[in-house]
Amino acid sequence: MATLNYLILVPMVYVAVAVFVCGTLWRVFRLLRSPRLATPLAIYPVKKPGWLYAAGDALLLPTVLRHNPLLWLALALFHLGLLALCIGHLELVADIRWLQIVPHAIFLGKGAVGLAMFVCLLYFLSRRMVSPTKELSVPEDFLLLVLLLLTVLFGAQMDWARNWYDYSTMSVDDYRAYLWSLVTGKPSIASVEGAGHSFMLVVHVFFANLLLLAFPFTKLMHAIFTFALNRIRRG
Amino acid sequence: MEASLRDELVRLFDTKLSRQMLLNLETCSRCGLCTPACHAYASMPLPKYAPAFRAEVVRRIYKRYFTALGRFAPVLGEAKPLTDAALEELREAAYSCTGCRRCMVYCPFGIDTQQIMSIAKLLLIGAEAAPEILSLLADVSISKGESIETFKEGFLQGIKRLETQVVARWKVEAGTTPIPTEVEGADMLYVALAGAHSIIPAAVVFNAARENWTLSFFEAVNFGAFVGDPGKTQLILDRIVREALRLGVKEVCICECGTAVRVAKQLSGTQPFRVVSLTEVHARYLREGRIRVKKLPGSHTYHDPCQIARNGGVYDEPRAILGRIVEDFREMSPDPKYNWCCGGGGGLVAMGEDTLDFRMRSSRVKADQIRESRADVVVTACENCHTQLENINAHYGLGKEVKFLSSLLADALVAP
Repeated sequence: MATLNYLILVPMVYVAVAVFVCGTLWRVFRLLRSPRLATPLAIYPVKKPGWLYAAGDALLLPTVLRHNPLLWLALALFHLGLLALCIGHLELVADIRWLQIVPHAIFLGKGAVGLAMFVCLLYFLSRRMVSPTKELSVPEDFLLLVLLLLTVLFGAQMDWARNWYDYSTMSVDDYRAYLWSLVTGKPSIASVEGAGHSFMLVVHVFFANLLLLAFPFTKLMHAIFTFALNRIRRG
Repeated sequence: MEASLRDELVRLFDTKLSRQMLLNLETCSRCGLCTPACHAYASMPLPKYAPAFRAEVVRRIYKRYFTALGRFAPVLGEAKPLTDAALEELREAAYSCTGCRRCMVYCPFGIDTQQIMSIAKLLLIGAEAAPEILSLLADVSISKGESIETFKEGFLQGIKRLETQVVARWKVEAGTTPIPTEVEGADMLYVALAGAHSIIPAAVVFNAARENWTLSFFEAVNFGAFVGDPGKTQLILDRIVREALRLGVKEVCICECGTAVRVAKQLSGTQPFRVVSLTEVHARYLREGRIRVKKLPGSHTYHDPCQIARNGGVYDEPRAILGRIVEDFREMSPDPKYNWCCGGGGGLVAMGEDTLDFRMRSSRVKADQIRESRADVVVTACENCHTQLENINAHYGLGKEVKFLSSLLADALVAP
């Protein structure tokens, strides 16, 4: 078991991050290498500056708000939650002063972010089970949602325990010692081993690794491609 | 399917993989927001008419031959090999899509279903499974470009016969040709369709505006674009480009045909002439006071042809014209960008009776929209839309009159 924990918490993390970075760069490179059509493919009327409207479309999803406000709300909560979690994880790696301009405890929202994302993911999954989204869905769509759901659930569980039922067998410093050891290339899992939440952590990291591994090969690439595609639509 | 054909089709697929196309193929999250955007789905709620579903038919093949996930874990993305059954699915997807790009207005990413369908159409051509009538019409257009001389005489005689009808509606000064052809150094080359309805009203308005114009030998319609053959599309367009260069015109004016306008405007490249639609020219005449008009009675609504409005940006000009020539104008859609497609684009109308049943079933929402406009006359500026709207009018018993914008303007002309 200790070996398995180590494999998930150290080598698998390195592999996942490497695949994520290289794979994503490869996908972007492949795109840039392909010939660019000269034909205008905009939807009119075109507003200027196009890049600003395209960024607005990509970040604020105005078309979703107009045609499906409930989906928009869930998407907004989910993606903002993702942003909050990214900040939380960065701060878990090291003390990042500029992120503390507004002083806050590490991991924003006192557990609410994870809960909100969990609910949003359940909603996304439920949408996929009814027509017509059901017929549009392919196994990849379900698999990614389940992976996200599991990652969020086990990650949030650690956050909820600290915030809601005063069960903190691992402190921010323990997580940080582990993550910092990964960053500096001197991996050690000593600080996160043997504590009550070690199992949660291992499972959380395992599913997160799978997500990172999947990212460059799946529709998760929309996180990057949306900007380019929206730019084309805006002329 | 034979392996050699499959390889050839995969190679054809590869030729379509531009940067824009890769983005269209790799970004969809299958959220389904586009579903209600399609007039076919809105009229007949079957999943196969959801734009994302149509696109997925192409995307499955893309995944199988061009992506890592599709090669190693095809089940995850339901990647599919190219088979005869897959071709049949491609055919149904491509020819149930009119290329109106209304779904693109809904998509959070801006995925272009029309572009994706152009792959399906190209594969069908490669497999010799494209609608024969469209390929045939495209070939006729091309051969006409190659042998002008053989049909020139007949064409000129036909035009001569139309001239009396032009003069009957607008007198020209003695010595002026009512329908000029082959005028070198003319300001404008007008590219019409084969029918008199696309020549007479346009000629009447040009003469009224004292335009220095000349009629093209060729029809504007581009069957190459309908059948989705990039090579033929360009060949058909090139005939017009060459003619415009030979005559040294400043402007090429394309008649009321949505596809022709979009193809000519967006694929002509950098040329010494400008490409404009007839509607834009007419709006300019009114703006510059070159023609005088009266207001016609009756309530009118305007159907924005997708390729001219949503995909070409000509929204204000038809409204400016109608504002001057009709007493009662009623918008069909609160926001013209969201106007329903007539259901006849993408070559469907050109395929005639074969597609009539589908065209009528898929345009129920359009019929409702026309009915709700409560206007007596439906005006439009596209040949395909006009034909389809007349079919809808008859099929759904709407009791409207369907008119071309140019014809309405010719009716509204008054002597200076």
